Amino acid sequence: MSEINNCYNTWFGEVCLEDGLKVFRSKNLKESFQSCKNWKLPFSVKDAGMIAFGSESEYYRNLRRTALQVAEERVRKELQSDERYLISLLKALDEIDLGINLFSEKIRDIEETRESSLTEKFNQIVSDLKTFRKDLENEINSHAERIIPNVSSIAGGVIAARLLEKAGSLKKLASMPASTIQIIGAEKSLFKAISRMKKGKKAKTPKHGIIFQHPYIRGLPKKKRGKMARFMAAKLAIAARIDFYGGELNEELVEIVRKKYGELQER
Amino acid sequence: MRVIKEILNNTFIVEHRDSSFLATKSRYPPFYGEKKIGDYREWKAYRSKLAAVILNGYTPSIKKDAVMLYLGVASGTTASHLSDILDSGIIYAVEYSATPFKKFLELAEERENIIPLLEDASKPENYSGIVEPVDFIYQDISQKNQIEIFSTNADLFLRDGGEGIIMVKARSIDSTSEPSEVFNFVLSELEKFFDILKHGGLEPFHKDHIFVHVRK
Ligand SMILES: C[S@@+](CC[C@H](N)C(=O)[O-])C[C@H]1O[C@@H](n2cnc3c(N)ncnc32)[C@H](O)[C@@H]1O
Repeated sequence: MSEINNCYNTWFGEVCLEDGLKVFRSKNLKESFQSCKNWKLPFSVKDAGMIAFGSESEYYRNLRRTALQVAEERVRKELQSDERYLISLLKALDEIDLGINLFSEKIRDIEETRESSLTEKFNQIVSDLKTFRKDLENEINSHAERIIPNVSSIAGGVIAARLLEKAGSLKKLASMPASTIQIIGAEKSLFKAISRMKKGKKAKTPKHGIIFQHPYIRGLPKKKRGKMARFMAAKLAIAARIDFYGGELNEELVEIVRKKYGELQER
Repeated sequence: MRVIKEILNNTFIVEHRDSSFLATKSRYPPFYGEKKIGDYREWKAYRSKLAAVILNGYTPSIKKDAVMLYLGVASGTTASHLSDILDSGIIYAVEYSATPFKKFLELAEERENIIPLLEDASKPENYSGIVEPVDFIYQDISQKNQIEIFSTNADLFLRDGGEGIIMVKARSIDSTSEPSEVFNFVLSELEKFFDILKHGGLEPFHKDHIFVHVRK
């Protein structure tokens, strides 16, 4: 802010009030557009801008072009950092799970050998970790709901975040065919199967990846799981595309998946 | 298809195959899944609160060459119709969440009367060097302090005699009180700084919402 000498920052440069408006047009509109904080201006930016650009149409043409460029850059950056945040929450969740398992094992080891007041403390740590895990999971769910509403409405926040993590970015996830989404996270077993086959051995290719953790798949008898996974992967592929293009939540998509699950359960 | 009534610039009630609907005349394609018949883009009241206001019988006069500041433009459902209406005006569109704004940018690319601003409406000082004095402020942000946000923006940008529409969702202001109490509170707050021209509910399209139309 440079109001001291009666000068103000505007998106197109500096404007000073000295018997009339004096305009110093910026050489880099994108830069001045992003550094024009003021409180109330004692003049109309547009009036001053017309001096800089000569006509109303030139004023708006430049303003719109600059605003669009800046907005696109900001959106790209923010969405990237949103995705990174979600992925880092997910990694924290996995590490906490490891911690909980590790401590629980230790507690069992100690308890098996002798009574000890130490197990009290261990138990406390585990229960704190579990509380924290819950908070973390809530944060993952609400963040996933915001940035990938459609994928997470079908898959749930945690599985959705995991798909995002494995794919690398929403952009990549959105460009994957359903058949790939179906086996995301099963790559290791896929590679194993391929290398076995190359050696001329028998191998089963994996049918389901991360989405196998979904209650709608786990909740089905084994022989129906492949069918459900295929169906869900197809809908997730659509959901990822809607999310990538910034679409709103499409309730129908979840509804179809729920119905399919119901059908398969009954048959 | 036939036009039954003109409501605002480029805004009509049209009849098509025995059903009538609100629409704006537009040379652009559908944007949010609405139907388009001939040049007329359906304006869905379940998706847009301003359409609900109009269908409930009240039409604020919005001039086609008005300069408008829109706070909380989201992905641009309502803005797409305002852009049809203000065909010789300008819309400064503010939204702070990148997720819906990404979709909105598709609209902003296509429409020459839209200036997109990824900004926080509670920090108008950040865009005071960009937005010119405006004739109209449209606010739809569902925030607890949205009246304060509206007033500060009006103080900075709304010309004297300029008007505004504020959409209020009772639950966003106070989730425990009765909606009618919340609305009374909101009206009394607005009355301190503005003339209230009209207010009313958005049922059946949006539950526990009101619009307030004010003048500075
Ligand atoms: C109900 S939606 C708006 C729908 C839109 N007006 C329409 O009819 O198409 C509310 C929007 O306000 C945005 N919002 C809330 N607080 C805001 C703030 N302080 N600054 C800018 N945008 C805000 C939210 O991100 C959300 O997208």
